[in-house]
Amino acid sequence: MSGEVETHPTPRDDDHVLAVRVGHGANCSSVGSVVDTLFATAAVAAAVFAAVAGALASEPLRTRRSPSPTDAADDPAAPPRGEDDP
Amino acid sequence: MIVRREPWGAWVKLDSMAAVVAIDEQGARALGLGPLDPHAMARAGAPVEVHLAVTSRCGAGCEGCYVDARPDGLEPPLHVIERRLDALREAGVFTVAFGGGEPTTREDLDVLAEAARARDLTPVLTTSGLGLSEARADRLRGFAQVNVSYDGPGATYARVRGFDGAAAAEGAIERLTRAGVPVGVNVVLTRQSFPVLGDTIARARSLGAREAQLLRYKPAGRAATLDYLAARLSPEQARALAPTLRGLAKEHCGSGDFHIRIDCALVPFLSVDEALASRSEDLARLGVMGCEAAGALSAVTVDGRVAPCSFAPATGLSADDLATGRAADADLARWRGRPDASAEPCASCPIRAVCKGGCKVVAGFVDGELGPDPECPRVVAWRARPASAHDSRASPP
Repeated sequence: MSGEVETHPTPRDDDHVLAVRVGHGANCSSVGSVVDTLFATAAVAAAVFAAVAGALASEPLRTRRSPSPTDAADDPAAPPRGEDDP
Repeated sequence: MIVRREPWGAWVKLDSMAAVVAIDEQGARALGLGPLDPHAMARAGAPVEVHLAVTSRCGAGCEGCYVDARPDGLEPPLHVIERRLDALREAGVFTVAFGGGEPTTREDLDVLAEAARARDLTPVLTTSGLGLSEARADRLRGFAQVNVSYDGPGATYARVRGFDGAAAAEGAIERLTRAGVPVGVNVVLTRQSFPVLGDTIARARSLGAREAQLLRYKPAGRAATLDYLAARLSPEQARALAPTLRGLAKEHCGSGDFHIRIDCALVPFLSVDEALASRSEDLARLGVMGCEAAGALSAVTVDGRVAPCSFAPATGLSADDLATGRAADADLARWRGRPDASAEPCASCPIRAVCKGGCKVVAGFVDGELGPDPECPRVVAWRARPASAHDSRASPP
């Protein structure tokens, strides 16, 4: 391995991006989703994903303190897409 | 960016742009994240967004108030709210939306915004705008965004809320904009407000709002009465939502400086729009969320209990125990569940993975159980089919 540069697939490839929720959603009573991008041209959505990919590639990763070990979740949330009911 | 590992990949809260992103397992590893360890597993599936009631005081007296807020409501002391913020951070939450009651009845809101940011939580706020002075607006700069409840100009506002607060809300939008606070508006869609939605958004935008969040009227709190049935959107209006959104987006969102959101409860209404239904993958990738009660979303009531969402009854789980008790709580698990997806009309619905069965609060009120959303146009059509078709497994039209 000496001399070799280890490369990783990067999330720059937006194939690894399952979902992008844009904005802050400042409502205190129900979860909101931006929908105007659904009606925009494909170029607009592509620009959103390009910006996200750029941010993923460039932003330093910050971590929060891990919680104490506890009972593991028995029903981790479903992924944002791709799962479905049987 | 802040990352929260999940069994399917990771949630990522970006710093350089206002976005929360879900990436798959390969993407998570590409960021240098290791496998899901027991510590991260304890947080898996926790909400990314929590609605935190910081008071139940409010003097507005809105007819449809979902928490039945009153002038003499509870107002927990600062240290109690800070402890709840600790618990949200511990659970891995990204965004905390302060609400009430009317949160601006608290004098320490700016302190709460700082407290949230100190814990890596993004603070946002909803207010009626009543009594919001220039000085008070200046003190809300710590919030990433403030949404003002604004159901329409002039008489429309009064028809929805039962009092004339439009001018106060408009003044608040202007003052917040002048203070440099990013402002959005929350617009409750009722049978009365829907026809003038275009005027409402145009007015809000002209005052400085950057975003309009459209909210379905829900039968909770003071709105959980028979009057709800007359105030909710008509079936025709529900079917018209997607075309209306399309028109509004074309008119207001082309330059990218104004956005339109819909709330989780409006997502089922998109199911009858052929153009959108054929692009269900796009809905998912662009982060459209249907019912996320007790999933990606939870609420904390003013007395510190966790609720599946702001409209749902609180559970017995204390907010202090959100990180460790969420997964095992039977009530939260029940709300995370979905209607039987093998049954029509959800079975053949192209957006069911996003919609997740529609609004359970509405289903509970109208049908008495957490089944398919009875106001979803697909469900309405399915239930209205001729008796001879009731044994059929055929897809609804």
